Amino acid sequence: MIGAAGSPLRRLFAAALAAGLLVDATGPAAAHRLKLFLATDAGEITGHAFFVGGGRPDGVEFIVADAAGRVVHRGRTDDHGALRWRPEVAADYAVAVDTGDGHRVTATIVADRLAGPAAVAPPTPASDTAPATTSPIDRDALARLVEAHVDAALERRLRPLMEAYDQAESRLRFNDVMGGIGMIVGLAGAAAWAASRRRGREDGRGGTS
Amino acid sequence: MAHIPDGVLSLPVLLGGGVLAVGGLALALSRLDERDIPKTAILAAVFFVTSLVSVPIGPSSVHLLLSGLIGIVLGLAAIPAIFVGLLLQAVLFGFGGLTALGVDVVDIAFPGTILGLLAAPLLARTSSLAAALLAGAVAAASVVGTAGCVTLALALSSPDYLPSLRLVALTYLPLAAVEAVVTGFVVAYLKQVKPEILAAPSREVLG
Repeated sequence: MIGAAGSPLRRLFAAALAAGLLVDATGPAAAHRLKLFLATDAGEITGHAFFVGGGRPDGVEFIVADAAGRVVHRGRTDDHGALRWRPEVAADYAVAVDTGDGHRVTATIVADRLAGPAAVAPPTPASDTAPATTSPIDRDALARLVEAHVDAALERRLRPLMEAYDQAESRLRFNDVMGGIGMIVGLAGAAAWAASRRRGREDGRGGTS
Repeated sequence: MAHIPDGVLSLPVLLGGGVLAVGGLALALSRLDERDIPKTAILAAVFFVTSLVSVPIGPSSVHLLLSGLIGIVLGLAAIPAIFVGLLLQAVLFGFGGLTALGVDVVDIAFPGTILGLLAAPLLARTSSLAAALLAGAVAAASVVGTAGCVTLALALSSPDYLPSLRLVALTYLPLAAVEAVVTGFVVAYLKQVKPEILAAPSREVLG
């Protein structure tokens, strides 16, 4: 009927492609059944795993690996499926959540989002340097401080938006469901048409083998 | 559970599942009576829609499979029906990976199909109460079969993925119970209003 099962070669190619996408982990190969939302909070990796259609896996293991694939941390999600971990250095990390029954999802967080606030001195100089008499060193410190605060504020403000986007993206849409049903009806029609052609050719009652 | 994403299973498991699924599909399609096409399509649509609705259970999430019911009503044609449903779910929603499609078809369709074919001669003969009970048992056993196949596929791929028995029991046993009740009621109803559905022509092929 449909050649989607494919030849071994195509399967191999598809598997290699899928593996490549999984390393990248933001690609479409990331499983939609179990999804993982990641954000940063003052140098901490935070987020939660959730199932499409509702529910969050609580008390399941999450594994953080660095860019080289070495496992750097193992932890468990809390009662609300949330996870939280503070890395020692800002680097690229891949976080995987495995519920232990075949549901598994991986997502990455880039170093850029973790850097910033951690590299900044305590915010006391900010209030002292209000006049325009700042030295170049102070200006650098101030710039870093402002950047860190802007980063933190943006992260805080954007987080609900990103969560909402993730939720919306994984929603089942009525149009898609109806499209799927339409596809099945079309397939049945095609099969019936093929059968009627065959019957017409045989000029008798149909049925194969 | 039943929809295994890309990148989890190892290549030999994916290939093995693919070969089995293609074999099952070829057999089922070559035996498919054209009069069964509409029925097959309707049950494919039922499977496609029903298994989209997930219910959170414990740390995981499950959905109805209805593979027992589909196997009872369609016999061998359950394999293409479930294949089409799974393919569309993978393409439209990313439920389960395309590379794991073969394994998913084997996991979900095969237990229901085999048990449905075995139970069919009995179902056609018994009273509706006995048929409902038998159909319920078929549905529950199909779910357990699916759980076994998924566990096997994961365990064969990597010991890391070996699902915890507690978790599998926690999620699949309630599902098996619900499927048994749903399938029992549906079969009892069919037995009363349209008993010929339970004695379909496609089923005689393995008789």
